[in-house]
Amino acid sequence: MAGAVLGSSAVASSENIFYDHSARTRFRVGFDRWIGRLLPLLFAVALFPIIDLVYFITVRAAPVLSLGNLTNTQPYANLSGDAVGIAIVGTFYVMVIATGFAVLLGIFGGIATAEFLSERAAGWVRMSANMLAGTPSVVVGYFGYFAFVIYFGWGYSLIAGSLTLAFFMTPYTFRTADLAFSSIPRGIREAALGSGARAYQYIVKVATPIAFPQILTGIFLAMAIGVGETAPIVLTTHTSLLLPNSLTSGVWFLTYTIYTGYNQPPGSNGLAQAFQAAFLIMVVVIALNIVVRIVAARYQKRLEGLYQ
Amino acid sequence: MNAATPPPTESPILSTKSLSVVAKERRILERISLDFPPHSLTAVVGPSGCGKTTFVRTLNRMTELTPGLRVQGSVEYLGQNIYDPKVNPVLVRRRIGMVFQRPTVFPMSVFENAAFGLRLLHEPEDEIDRAVTESLERAGLWDEVKTDLDRAALSLSGGQQQRLCIARALAVRPRVLLMDEPTSALDPAATQRVESTMERLKQDIVIVLVTHNVGQAARVSDRVAFLHTGKLIEVGPTADILERPKEPLTEQFITGRFG
Repeated sequence: MAGAVLGSSAVASSENIFYDHSARTRFRVGFDRWIGRLLPLLFAVALFPIIDLVYFITVRAAPVLSLGNLTNTQPYANLSGDAVGIAIVGTFYVMVIATGFAVLLGIFGGIATAEFLSERAAGWVRMSANMLAGTPSVVVGYFGYFAFVIYFGWGYSLIAGSLTLAFFMTPYTFRTADLAFSSIPRGIREAALGSGARAYQYIVKVATPIAFPQILTGIFLAMAIGVGETAPIVLTTHTSLLLPNSLTSGVWFLTYTIYTGYNQPPGSNGLAQAFQAAFLIMVVVIALNIVVRIVAARYQKRLEGLYQ
Repeated sequence: MNAATPPPTESPILSTKSLSVVAKERRILERISLDFPPHSLTAVVGPSGCGKTTFVRTLNRMTELTPGLRVQGSVEYLGQNIYDPKVNPVLVRRRIGMVFQRPTVFPMSVFENAAFGLRLLHEPEDEIDRAVTESLERAGLWDEVKTDLDRAALSLSGGQQQRLCIARALAVRPRVLLMDEPTSALDPAATQRVESTMERLKQDIVIVLVTHNVGQAARVSDRVAFLHTGKLIEVGPTADILERPKEPLTEQFITGRFG
């Protein structure tokens, strides 16, 4: 045997020199094994509240949910009837305007920060965006109240609510756009500019197609966050029993339905509306997240090999 | 169209005059004066950090994409100083193309990659078709991609991607092509193909090739310029520099004692 080479070695020749029976090693191996079994369990624990939430809302929304309720946009007296159509359309209006502004601000801000600002200025902008993302929504709502409702004199209105919500959503569109543009390989940028592209041509023709999936992810993420917000809307709009017909009319937002209805007695219209609204928001948020994954995966395939 | 038409005289296409590059606390290039005559392939060699990449990047004003670098002296293209304050660097880069160390194809089709520079110039469609074919042929890639110009450029091999980058640079018919260690990320077979492409190209255009590979300089270049710590130590015909260098530093470098 090869062990004979060692001659007078005390190691028995049958013993493999690579075996390690120290207590420490045995502990590590055991620890590894058990932690590997424990982690899925912890994951299940973390998942439980989400599943419980989905179940809780679904079983309460199911009996009252009907297509008639969702599509009924007849003017309704406050909380009389189960219809939530007004709130759905109102939410749609708010989300369209807010997303529009958040996308414009976020993407142009992201491009400016990633491509044009100095490192120092970009650092300040990024920090501001992070601070805005961390600002409690009620503070953003209060800002919107003072800025749009009072100072600009728009009153409690669709436009004041939408813009306030846009401010709340912008950090998310901004951060993803900034990250998407600044993570494009340096070589790609130099190659485009070295081929005689002007800065805007590089951004439009080369960078945006590369950054697109990430930007889209940011937009959907911002929408998912915005649609579930309450404070920025409650502080800047008044509810309306009619569909909004101008930028300064009142508007009914879905989360407001939950806010006013959740503490109503069982069997009441308010509670029925609240659970329908909660269910809808839940579905929209889940759907947005699924769409994000599909879109991102699809576009990512095209970029395979770019980030070697 | 008439890319191959040689200028009437042998006056240099491109020349640097006392060119220095200064970073915040050190000088990267020190008063370099160098001419690039028509139909020449000049290899710029030197040890790592000698400033050869910086040098080649000053030749089409790519240096200014790196914040903190200041260029002194001048670079003249057909007698015009490209560092004149009125000069638009974008127009400079359309005349003086560049190929980088790593292939930098865009995530588009092979055709669109080659057509990139032409689209920036808003060339008519049939002209683009013609120029793409021609530049892919000149880059030695045509036979490998002609059956499927719509395939994704990122699906090509590394060597093919690099030749596509050369084609992209050639499509706008530059008089000068700058190549910054174009084969350092490629395997020997791909390197060989890129080198034969270079040898064909130097018939029509001026090539400035940065390389850390003395063997490559010997194989493809007409002239060698040796840079050391930002200074031009020696320049001359390839055979002279590699076989009978005048400066001891050059000899040490080419015999592999450092670098």
